[in-house]
Amino acid sequence: MEHQPAVIGLPRAMLYYRYGVLWRTFFTGLGLGVAASPPTDRDILAQGTALAIDEACLSLKIYLGHVAALVGQCDYILTPRVSNFGRHRNMCTRFESTPDLVRSVFRSTGQKFLSYNVDGELKQDEQDAFLSMGRELGCSAGAVKRAYRLAKKAELAHFKEQVQKQEQLSRREGMKVLIAAHSYVIEDPFMGKPVTRFLKAAGVIPLRADLTDREAALKRSLSLSPTCKWEISREILGGIQQRRDTVDGIILLSAFPCGPDAMVNELIARRVGDVPLLNLVLDSQSGTAGVETRLESFIDIIRFQEGKL
Amino acid sequence: MAEKNKRSISFPRYAEYNCAFKYIVEQALGARYVMPPVLTKRTMELGTKYSPDFVCTPFKTMLGSMIESLEAGADTLLMTHGLCRLGYYGELLEQILRDLGYQFDFINLSEYDMGKKKEYIRIVRRLAPGVNPARFLAQFLEGLHMVEYLDEITAEYFQNCGFDATGGDYRRAYQDFLTAMYTAQDRGDVEQGYRGAKRALRAVPLDKPRRPLRVGIVGEFYTAMDPFSNLELEQKLADMGVEIHRWMNVTNQFLRYGSGQKNLRVKIQDLCRYDMGPTSTANIWYARECAERGFDGIIHIKSAGCTPEIDVMPVLQNIGADYKIPVLYLTYDAQTSDVGLMTRLEAFYDMIEMRKKVL
Repeated sequence: MEHQPAVIGLPRAMLYYRYGVLWRTFFTGLGLGVAASPPTDRDILAQGTALAIDEACLSLKIYLGHVAALVGQCDYILTPRVSNFGRHRNMCTRFESTPDLVRSVFRSTGQKFLSYNVDGELKQDEQDAFLSMGRELGCSAGAVKRAYRLAKKAELAHFKEQVQKQEQLSRREGMKVLIAAHSYVIEDPFMGKPVTRFLKAAGVIPLRADLTDREAALKRSLSLSPTCKWEISREILGGIQQRRDTVDGIILLSAFPCGPDAMVNELIARRVGDVPLLNLVLDSQSGTAGVETRLESFIDIIRFQEGKL
Repeated sequence: MAEKNKRSISFPRYAEYNCAFKYIVEQALGARYVMPPVLTKRTMELGTKYSPDFVCTPFKTMLGSMIESLEAGADTLLMTHGLCRLGYYGELLEQILRDLGYQFDFINLSEYDMGKKKEYIRIVRRLAPGVNPARFLAQFLEGLHMVEYLDEITAEYFQNCGFDATGGDYRRAYQDFLTAMYTAQDRGDVEQGYRGAKRALRAVPLDKPRRPLRVGIVGEFYTAMDPFSNLELEQKLADMGVEIHRWMNVTNQFLRYGSGQKNLRVKIQDLCRYDMGPTSTANIWYARECAERGFDGIIHIKSAGCTPEIDVMPVLQNIGADYKIPVLYLTYDAQTSDVGLMTRLEAFYDMIEMRKKVL
């Protein structure tokens, strides 16, 4: 009898937008099946909201909805713990708690979960983490190493391509607005997508602060906020430093009530004073009319300042 | 003339630990200490007015307290590093205060690599350039001693103060102890204050039932410990006739366990595999400990927006379900009212008291 390969479920939220390519290539490289949850919709949000603690951020609520959509549909659901990549290179503590949080919320379902643990300060880097996860799945060390190497290569190539696309966009003629947001906010069909869609329809070129050479961004972030310790926030800060002089406006886009953004965006607003700035916080309200009104007036302000209105 | 060059150092109000900060600044660094005024509604109004909306409440409290310290004459503010958002408090606090126009020297521990011993020497040199290292170390350790005494006496106080048969002697003995710590000038004062308090507390007759109601407190590091921030929850509940147990304090979290709580994690491996945040392991471990020791209830305290404590809640909910122990979840923000809290505490008390009679 042919043995069916295990299927790994990938919740299409949070770190999926950062590591989706890495995960897919890694698991398929090991001969395993991969299934992602469908794009965020009203049901997923409603289900996630019901499962989450009220005060949790919108991103976590959406994440839990995606996990719920996968429960019973696959052999394992991947919920990694990504704590930090070294000193002052932390993730939000929510990425530390995710695997245990998810296990606690779904413990009565009998669903099996898979996780790996990246903790640079404890000398456990991503490769170590993937090696032990691969062994947990019963794969040989050699196969896991090979799969990880290929997956990392694919991830970096994919990211590089995205950065290059940004470069091309930034050279185009027209009004450019830089969006500072976590990838899981800006790429989510429920959160950031309506914003970029609206901007494009209004003839504005949306650029992304987080799609930038990461190493350079980490260095650049120090001149804007020397003690900022969140990896993703630092990438965004670096992206802002890189483009603040060449864009017409900046939108700080965050999910309510994002912990790091609540502080970092306040600091950006206080230190980046030379370009029009919009602080847009997304919550789980239905309808996009409110957001559209604010975007519209922001675009008007930019046009007015540039004497084009 | 040397007096003139002395710094006037302040650190925001934090439970009763300011007596130890004062001791260390004055005795170990030989500098002046500016005691931040007691936290009041005004402190919160100041802090809230100038803080971003969604920042956790202790940020607002600390901002208000820092403004009041500057008004009281501080010229140097000290801010700690930390594992959660606390680690970013310093930079934003400084920016807000500078934008408001305050002038001061700011020492932000997040700018230093606190994993390295050398960095501590740099900080001490910056605070007090002429300090004698041997004297500094001896007095610094004495300051930590004071923290241990403070935590020990405070724990003893809240376990018994609800059963004071004299109608106030127990509380007075605790207040006398605090006064002794706030005015201590040397090791003798600290030791004498501690021993005196031990004797005085023991001398008060208690009227405690054989099986009193026992409640365990867990939660976020600032709000769970700071009586102003949690609206004196421990005193309120103790006054109803409850034994209050709280593991979380500076001694247990930092002085005894340092950053590693590996040995606490052993007992909660089935509940969580990893550290979920800076205080998650201690809180989950202690909540289970309370449940296993047959406590009557657990209260989880956090400030609005505390990400790590929000994430611990699903685990605590499972402990509550597994051990059939009531857990009260309280979130404090700048608007939480005394009356609202009292209503919830009374309801919680009635419920655990009724369960005790039935079970």
